[in-house]
Amino acid sequence: MDLNEKQLDALQEMGNIGASHAATSLSQMLMNEISMTVPEVKKIDIADISDYFGEEICAMVVFEIQGTIDPAGYIVYHVPLKSAIRMTNAMIGMQDEDREINEMDESALLEVGNIMVSHFLDATAELLGIVMLPSPPQLAIDMAHASFENIVAQVALDINEILLFSTELKESENGIQSTIVLLPEENTLTEILSLLDNLLEQVS
Amino acid sequence: MSGYTRDTADKINVGIGEFSVGSMTMTSIGLGSCIALIIHDDYLKIGAVAHIMLPESKGRDERPGKFADTAVPLLKTELIKRGSKPRSLQATIIGGARMFEKFRGDLDIGSRNIEAVSQALKVHCIPLVTEETGGTSGRSITYIPTNGGTITIKQANGEWKEL
Repeated sequence: MDLNEKQLDALQEMGNIGASHAATSLSQMLMNEISMTVPEVKKIDIADISDYFGEEICAMVVFEIQGTIDPAGYIVYHVPLKSAIRMTNAMIGMQDEDREINEMDESALLEVGNIMVSHFLDATAELLGIVMLPSPPQLAIDMAHASFENIVAQVALDINEILLFSTELKESENGIQSTIVLLPEENTLTEILSLLDNLLEQVS
Repeated sequence: MSGYTRDTADKINVGIGEFSVGSMTMTSIGLGSCIALIIHDDYLKIGAVAHIMLPESKGRDERPGKFADTAVPLLKTELIKRGSKPRSLQATIIGGARMFEKFRGDLDIGSRNIEAVSQALKVHCIPLVTEETGGTSGRSITYIPTNGGTITIKQANGEWKEL
């Protein structure tokens, strides 16, 4: 799907609203300031996904988006391994960074991911005037590309280019970095764009 | 999200849905539910790799490397074009892991991929000599056609395996 500049702007703004709410909830959980990048909307050929997700081990908490638009796509909370350990440590006041990732980290990732993604979808859905709910989360701690291609396989039967919305969140006191990635189905994108169009018309 | 180099002169990374044929070293990084299909010709010391994402093309012909049913005949044809005899061809498949428990949809596409590739190999009379499939974690592979078709697998837990 080809997007014009106005559509890209609208999508970026939508991502911005969702991500800001997610960032606020993360900052409350970590009790620290979170800085957020401007959401990026990237069109990527499936063959080039390895330029963005490599072999490094990371945590991916994955949610299917359910609600008015169905199937709508996936939302992924992507946390590098070191950051995942630091996140649990920060929440329970531990120091040891060189430990193996364990069940406690996994529960923390699922919980933090769930809260952030719920906020992200709530804010986005409210803007669009529809219902968007996250499915129960699924977690993989593995090579980033390996986990991500499993999700891409769900949306890319008919398409060879995917649209990725990503926003990076950084907490600098403990050095916790994470990314929220939205991977919409193609039909979702069409619907979202028409909803955003209506919204823009109302405003102008 | 770290970057990495690809397509250097003597080494090619085969991305999702892509394929490569020749005598250069071929890699495929971070195979999850996808499958690396490797067909090796030890007589000519050449081979082919496809990074298969889904089991069935259902008539789609845009990216034959993407689907099990189109990737198998594609690699066979490409190797025969380069002089391979059908009887010298030997297949290895790697990947098809289950990265996530099932969602409402079908995220366990890995096992369906394994089945579809094995089936297509049978249909096209290419013996499946080695298989490193299933499980719940990712793998990266490096295939060197000139060196007896050596395949090195790097597993997500950091362990290496040579086939």
